[in-house]
Amino acid sequence: MVSEDLVVSVCLVLVAASATVAVAVREPVRQALVLAVLGLALAALFTVLQAPDVALSQLAVGSVLTPLLILLSVRKVRRRGHPTGDEAQR
Amino acid sequence: MNAWLWCGTTFLGLGLPPVIWGVASGPLSRRVLAQNTGSTVVALAFLLLAQGYARPSYTDLSLVLSLLGPVGTLVCVRLLADDLSAGASRWSTAVTALCVAASLAVTAAVCAAAAPGRPMVKLLLIGALVALGNVIAARALSVGVLEEADGTR
Amino acid sequence: MTIRMRRWVMGTGAIGLAALFVAAFMRLPRFGGDRHPYGDRATDAALTRHTANVVSSINFDLRAFDTLGEESILFAAVLGTVVLLRQTREEDRVPPRSAAVDPWVRRYALAALPVALVVGLYVVAHGQLSPGGGFQGGVIVATAVHLLYIGVDYRALERIRPVALYEVGDAVGEAAYLLVGAAALIGGSAFLANTLLPYGTFNTLTSGGVVPLLNLAVGIEVACAVVVLVSRFLDQAVEITDAASDAEGAGTR
Repeated sequence: MVSEDLVVSVCLVLVAASATVAVAVREPVRQALVLAVLGLALAALFTVLQAPDVALSQLAVGSVLTPLLILLSVRKVRRRGHPTGDEAQR
Repeated sequence: MNAWLWCGTTFLGLGLPPVIWGVASGPLSRRVLAQNTGSTVVALAFLLLAQGYARPSYTDLSLVLSLLGPVGTLVCVRLLADDLSAGASRWSTAVTALCVAASLAVTAAVCAAAAPGRPMVKLLLIGALVALGNVIAARALSVGVLEEADGTR
Repeated sequence: MTIRMRRWVMGTGAIGLAALFVAAFMRLPRFGGDRHPYGDRATDAALTRHTANVVSSINFDLRAFDTLGEESILFAAVLGTVVLLRQTREEDRVPPRSAAVDPWVRRYALAALPVALVVGLYVVAHGQLSPGGGFQGGVIVATAVHLLYIGVDYRALERIRPVALYEVGDAVGEAAYLLVGAAALIGGSAFLANTLLPYGTFNTLTSGGVVPLLNLAVGIEVACAVVVLVSRFLDQAVEITDAASDAEGAGTR
């Protein structure tokens, strides 16, 4: 019978794949999206390793806060490059 | 390794690689769509794993992800409206329909196995939140983009 | 000190560290396996104190002092961010214009906000029973507050988010943790000892002694800290512009 290590192996491979993609994607906006997916894969890995508290922390921080802070920083840097009054919206 | 764990593993093994590929390549609208799909896939996988490990407290992970995943997508849509003005991805309707169907299937399966009463109500709520969140985020991705292109800025 | 000498000093230190590291590594038990001496003792201690979630018991009871340090790290990090991202003399504040959001997204955001708040409070309150606790629940509450920005408008967010109040809340949460710890001193035992409250019945909301209180303190602190952190980022990204480049650019304000 296949043991429960199969689930752990599948999650490990997914984490490795998404982490490699996160490094390969260079542009910060796209990288923010890949980091969100990496966070999901990590949360799945922590769950199958029976660490749900850590998985919950990862979900809480990685799904919203990390993309939000990165995208806000990118927006600030872009606005600095185009200093017009029209950019001051939302 | 029981049937639920097999289902959860297949869900993760078949669902996440297309998500990773979708978020790594293509136009930005497809990448955001992939991130949205990813949060749905993992939320449903958590429901299956909770049943497989016989630990109902793992459904809390699904509950939290069903709320925070769509918020993450909405954040990206909101802050990237300039870059998303190229239009919605052509995969959008198909993938959203697939996600809703998967949510219905997984919710029905775990509810059938759960005890009637509070656990079943909680599972129904989680399933509804997962499906609704996915649909609204996909809609924000396609409609919200058009509105910014037409309306005043 | 020249660069060469610095390299020699670093090399000596690194060799000492490597020797100690290898010696310690040789005595580690194997990865995985069934024998976990610390785990067995921690689980026994947690169950003696009627705390169902052993991780919460370790965080807020057995090693509560370490959690105080971690909470203080978040507090200091947010403090540093507030200092770095404050509005300086060369910057101006330009009120942002409203954005058009799809009505269904708006409805979803307004409906999901109370649901997310309740889920966050649920996660904080059940920290001693199921996976979760003060940190996770606090971040969920903070994310729920920002649903207003994402689904509606920046101005709507500003109305329910008087930042000064959240800064006070952050400090109150941090202080509450210390005060609960000091209250144990008054009772005659050690700092942060779990002797304040009775252990209660296993697997109920009021079990675990002082763990629910510390959960609440950390939950308040983390929620307010994250709201303050994101508010600074939002201010810089949405409102604050460089005054000099604005004067050269559009010319109108």
